[in-house]
Amino acid sequence: MMQHFPVLAVMVLFLGAFLVEIFGSKSRLTRNIIALAAASLSFVFIAALVKPVMIDGQIISYWMGNWTPVEGYAIGIGYEIDQLNLFFALLVVLTFLLSGIYSIRYMEKDRHLGHYYTLYLMLSGGVLGLVLTGDMFNMFVMVEIMTFAAVALTAFRNNGRGALEAAFKYLVIGSIGSSMTLTGIALLYMQCHTLSMAQISAMLAKGLSPTGIMALALIFIGFGVKSFIVPFHAPAADAYAAAPTSISMIFSGMVNKAGVYGMIRIVYTVFQAMDLEPMSLLLVFLGTITMFIGVTMALAQHDFKRLLAFHSISQIGYVITAVGLGTALGITGGLFHAMNHTLFKGLLFLCAGAVLYRTGTTDLDKLGGLSKKMPKTAICFLVGAFSISGLPPFNGFASKWMVYQATYSKAVETGNFAYALVTVIAVVVSVMTLASFIKVTQAVFFGQLPESCENVTEVPLSMRIPMWIMSALCIFGGVCYGFVNKYLLAPATEAAINVSRYIDVMMGDGYAASYGVVDMTVAPAGFSYWDPLVWLVLFIVVLLAFCIVIVTGRNTRGEVLEAKPELVDPKYDTFFSGEESMHSHVGGSDLFWGFRTDWKGYFDFMQGMHSGIVNDYAIWAVTATGCAALFMFLFIH
Amino acid sequence: MIIVNYIASVLLIVLGLYTICFKKHLIKIVIGMGIIDYGINLLLVSIGFNDGGTAPIYSMSDLLNGVSATFFVDPVPQALTLTSIVIGACVDAMALALVIMIYRKYKSVNADDVRRLRG
Amino acid sequence: MKLKKGIKEKNIIVKCAADKFLPFAVVFGLYIIMFGTISPGGGFQGGVLVASAALLIYLGYGYDAARNSIDPEVTRVNEAMGATLYVCLALLGLAVGANFCRNVFYQNGAIGDMISAGTITFMGYAVGYKVLTGVGFLLMLMLSLLAPDGDEGEGEEQ
Repeated sequence: MMQHFPVLAVMVLFLGAFLVEIFGSKSRLTRNIIALAAASLSFVFIAALVKPVMIDGQIISYWMGNWTPVEGYAIGIGYEIDQLNLFFALLVVLTFLLSGIYSIRYMEKDRHLGHYYTLYLMLSGGVLGLVLTGDMFNMFVMVEIMTFAAVALTAFRNNGRGALEAAFKYLVIGSIGSSMTLTGIALLYMQCHTLSMAQISAMLAKGLSPTGIMALALIFIGFGVKSFIVPFHAPAADAYAAAPTSISMIFSGMVNKAGVYGMIRIVYTVFQAMDLEPMSLLLVFLGTITMFIGVTMALAQHDFKRLLAFHSISQIGYVITAVGLGTALGITGGLFHAMNHTLFKGLLFLCAGAVLYRTGTTDLDKLGGLSKKMPKTAICFLVGAFSISGLPPFNGFASKWMVYQATYSKAVETGNFAYALVTVIAVVVSVMTLASFIKVTQAVFFGQLPESCENVTEVPLSMRIPMWIMSALCIFGGVCYGFVNKYLLAPATEAAINVSRYIDVMMGDGYAASYGVVDMTVAPAGFSYWDPLVWLVLFIVVLLAFCIVIVTGRNTRGEVLEAKPELVDPKYDTFFSGEESMHSHVGGSDLFWGFRTDWKGYFDFMQGMHSGIVNDYAIWAVTATGCAALFMFLFIH
Repeated sequence: MIIVNYIASVLLIVLGLYTICFKKHLIKIVIGMGIIDYGINLLLVSIGFNDGGTAPIYSMSDLLNGVSATFFVDPVPQALTLTSIVIGACVDAMALALVIMIYRKYKSVNADDVRRLRG
Repeated sequence: MKLKKGIKEKNIIVKCAADKFLPFAVVFGLYIIMFGTISPGGGFQGGVLVASAALLIYLGYGYDAARNSIDPEVTRVNEAMGATLYVCLALLGLAVGANFCRNVFYQNGAIGDMISAGTITFMGYAVGYKVLTGVGFLLMLMLSLLAPDGDEGEGEEQ
C-alpha cells in the first residue's frame, strides 16, 4: 500500500484542482474546504513516507501500469523515491500547505477566486510531480505545468502595477528554458533510446559522446532558467514582486528548489558529471556571480517585495556554489541551505504580505514605524531577517557556516586559490545581506509612522499561524542542527552520491555493475572544530560582555540646549532648524546612499542592464546558453 | 538518419531565437516562440525514423496471419511530439491572451514601451 | 434560420458554407475520437476538430449566435468533469490491486472492435471530451474580444 503513496500525493492535488473548477465557483466555503483538504491529504501521504525511506533506508520503485523493464530495457514511466527526492518533497509539501492556510484570509477581497485555487493546486501538483518522478519526459511535462500555472498566477491581479508585463517576460524567458530542456531530452533519446533516468545513467557511465555533452549543456541551462541563476534572473525580480504574496512565497520556496533539484539530479545522477573538473568550475562560477549580483542589486531597490526577490536570487547562489563543489560537505551544506532558505524566505514574504494587506503599499519610502501597530509581525520579521543574515542561533548561521567550511576545505584540498576567494566573497555577501536587512527593518518597522498608516492593526489569526510555524522551524533548525543532519541531510547526501544503488533498485540487481558504473568516492561530512555550537557560545559570551559594558559605563551624551524665547532675536532665525510639530519622514531607500554613490559606475551599469525590455533578457539567455555549450565542448572530452 | 530534417530543425530553432531576441513587436515575439516549438517537434519526429520501416500499427492481415514482428519506426517519439504540440498550442494561447491584456492597459504593443518594472 | 432581432445578417455564401461544413466537422471529429485505439487519431486530434464548430458558427452567424449555442460557463464545468473522469479511470487500476494507470479489462472484445483495448479506450474518450470542451471554451473566450460594441467581453485570463 505504501508504494502507491507518492502517485496518490500528486494525483490528489490534480483531482482537487478539477473539483474546485466544478464546484467552487458558487460557494466560498466549498472552495476553501476542497483546496485545504487536497493540500493536507497530500501532506499526510508524503509525511507517511518519512519513516520507511529516510529512517529505514528503503527506496521505493514504482512502475506505472505495471510496465516493468523487459529484457533489461525500460519501457514504462517509473517513479523512484529515494532520500534526495523525499527531502525536496517534504519542503514542497510544507510550503504549499502553509501558503494555502495563509491565502484564506489574504485573498478574500479578490474576485475569481475559483481560478486562483485551481491554479494554486495545479502549481503544487506540478512541482511535487517534478521532484518525485524518475522519467525524463515526465519531468519535462511537470516543468511545463509548473511554468503555466506560475505565469497565470503572476498575472492574477491584472490591475496591479506591472503584473501583466512581469507575466509576459516570465513566459518568454521560461519558454526559452523549457525549449532548451526539450531539445536536450530529444538529443538524449537519440543517444540512448530510452527515457528512464536509471537506465540512461547506466548507459552514460563510460563517458560522454559529443551528443551527450550537448544534451548536458542544454538540460543544465534549461533547469538553470527555472531556478533563476544569474543570466536568467531578471524575470524573477518582476514576477515575485507582481504576484500575490502567498504565491510569491511558493515561487521563492518551491519553484526555485525544483530547479535546484533538477540540476542536482541531472549533474550528479544521470550524467555523473561531477567528477569532471570543468563542470564543477562552471557551477561554482555561476553560483558566485549570482550571490554577488543578487545582493548588490538588492541594495538599490525601492520596493519591498522586489528587494526580497533579489535576496532570494542571491541565496540560491549560495546553494549552487555549495552543490557545485562535488564534496560530501558541499552537498550537505547546499541542501541544508536550500531547506533553510525555504523556511526563512517564506517567513519574510509572509510578513511582507501582512504589511501589504494592512497598509496597501510596498513602497519603502512610504512605510515606517509599523512595529507599534503590528508587533507580532515585527517579531517574526526580525527572526527571518536574522536568519537570512546568518546570525546565531538561527538556522541561517548553521547552514552558511557549513557552506564556508565546504569552500575553504576544497581550497585547502586542491590548493586552488580561487576557492578561498569564493569563501571571502560568500562572507562579504553575507555582510551586505545583513546591511540590506537593517535598512529594510528600519524603513518598515522602526522609525516614524506616516499619517497614512495610522489605522493599521494586526493581521488576522489564520495569517499569523503560518508565520509562527515557520519561525519555530527556523529556531529549531539553528539550535538542533545535529538532529537535522542525522535524519534529513546525511541520507539525502548519500543518495545523491550513490548512483549504483539508484540504478539497481529500478532495473534489477547487478545492472549497474554490468555497465561499469563507478560511484564517486567522497569522504563523509563531519563538523570538527568548525562546530557551530562553539561559535554560538562565543557569540553569547561576547554579547554578555557588550551588555555589561553598556550598562556600567557612564552616560555622557551631550545635552540639547533649548532656545529661551526672550533671548531670541529674529536675525538668528536662520540658525535654528526644524519645527517641533512638523513630520519629516526619512525614506527607507535613502539609507546607504553613501555606498551607492561610491559605486556609482557599477550601479548605473547594472541598473541600465536591467532595462525591462524582454528582448534584452532573451539575448542574455541565448548568449549564456551558447557560452556554456562552447565551454563544455572545449573542456570536456 | 535524415540529414535534411535535422538541418531544417536547427535552422528553425535559430530563426525562432533570432525573432525573440531582436524583434520589438510583441506579436512577433510570440510567433518566434511558436517557431522554436515547431523546430523542436520536427527534431523529435525525425529521431524515431528507421530506414525502411512502416507505420507503427499492426494491420488486420498481419494479426490474422499470426505475424508478430514487422519492422516499425519508433512510436515513442511520435507520442512525445504529440504532447509537445499540445504544450506549444497552450503556450501560444496564453501568450496571446497576455498580449491582448497588455494592449488594453498600456495602449501599445512595442516592447520598448512595456517596461514599467526596471532597475 | 430565422435570426433574432438586432443581429446583423452575414454574407450568404459564408453562411451556406458554414451550414454545409458544420455537421461534417462534428461527425468526423467524433469518429476520430471514438475509433482512436484502432486507427490514427485519438483524443486530442478529434477534440480539436469538434471544437472548430465554434469557429464555424461564428463565421457564419456572428458572435451572438455563437454565444447562445455554446455557453462558456457550462463548457468550463464540463471540461473539469472530463479531466476528473480521466483521473478516476486511472485510479481504477489501484482498485484492482495493481499500480496506477493499469489497463484493467483489456481481454474483452476481439481485435479490431471498437471497445477492445480496455481502459485505454475510455481514457481516450475522456481526453477527447476534455479537449473538445476545453478548446471550445478557449475559442469562445478569444472571440469574445471581437464581439460588436456594447457586448465587450470580460477578457479574463485562462
